[in-house]
Amino acid sequence: MDDSKIIERCLKGEKEAFRFLVERYQAQAVGHSLAILANREDALDATQEAFVDAFRSLKKFDLSRRFYPWFYVLLRHRCYKIIAKKREAENIEDAEIIAPQTSVSGEEKIALERALRSISREDREIISLKYLDGFSYDEIAELLKIPRGTVMSRLFYARKQLQAKLTGKFH
Amino acid sequence: MKDMNCEDILIQKSALIDGEKADFSDEQIAEHSADCENCRRQIEELENTIFLLKRQKRREQSADLWSAIEKQINDESESILTVKWQPFALVGVFLVIYKLLEMIPERDLGWFLRVVPFILIAALFGFIKENPFKINSELILEK
Repeated sequence: MDDSKIIERCLKGEKEAFRFLVERYQAQAVGHSLAILANREDALDATQEAFVDAFRSLKKFDLSRRFYPWFYVLLRHRCYKIIAKKREAENIEDAEIIAPQTSVSGEEKIALERALRSISREDREIISLKYLDGFSYDEIAELLKIPRGTVMSRLFYARKQLQAKLTGKFH
Repeated sequence: MKDMNCEDILIQKSALIDGEKADFSDEQIAEHSADCENCRRQIEELENTIFLLKRQKRREQSADLWSAIEKQINDESESILTVKWQPFALVGVFLVIYKLLEMIPERDLGWFLRVVPFILIAALFGFIKENPFKINSELILEK
């Protein structure tokens, strides 16, 4: 069943239908909020609250659009609300963002995880959207509500920050 | 065409390595970097970083949030239901008192007091955030 059909059912009062959306996107959403918050507990809270926000705002959803980019705005808002509450007291834990792979050595993965955790949240977010999810510049522009040119330059500077942290490791 | 400075070259080259459209072609970038040692070095670093990043995948996160979300949604709906009847009851009681006052013979309430019920009803709809003139096409009359 596609997202718009599920939303139509929710709007007709069938709350249970929202479960399909939660189950379809929760893992992806937790992954995305983890890239911003770098803390699994916070990422789960942000995702849960964002889904509740989405349910409350379903009436405003334009059925001709895709659900996830609309939801991502709510998710980011929740993530930054959590950050504001904690007054920037970094609560970064060793939550792993990158999946282990046979083509990547353990040492390489650890160094990259560390480098990702040490750059800013905004840089980590855009890098993970591009390289961990494989979104195109246009898709990232849609998710972050910024022009494509801004994606290009923000990604460039984010990568530079990451590169600086990684220098001397694998180059 | 845009002027080519080193920063623009590197930004555009990154887009090309990412497989995206860019304002400059590979030939234009190669032409610039042939005479620019700094760009050549930075492009090499860029390629290494992008190569490293492109081999990664996001770790799948396990989550089962539905029961918590469902509880929150249900609790909210219940609290909305319990809050909603109170303003209606209050306005109802007021309107009954108002009607009784109106029934007292030879008592002129004045134009201002006559509009009070309308103001109250409008305030009630404002409070519950509903448009009384909205047509709901989903409503079906029961047979």
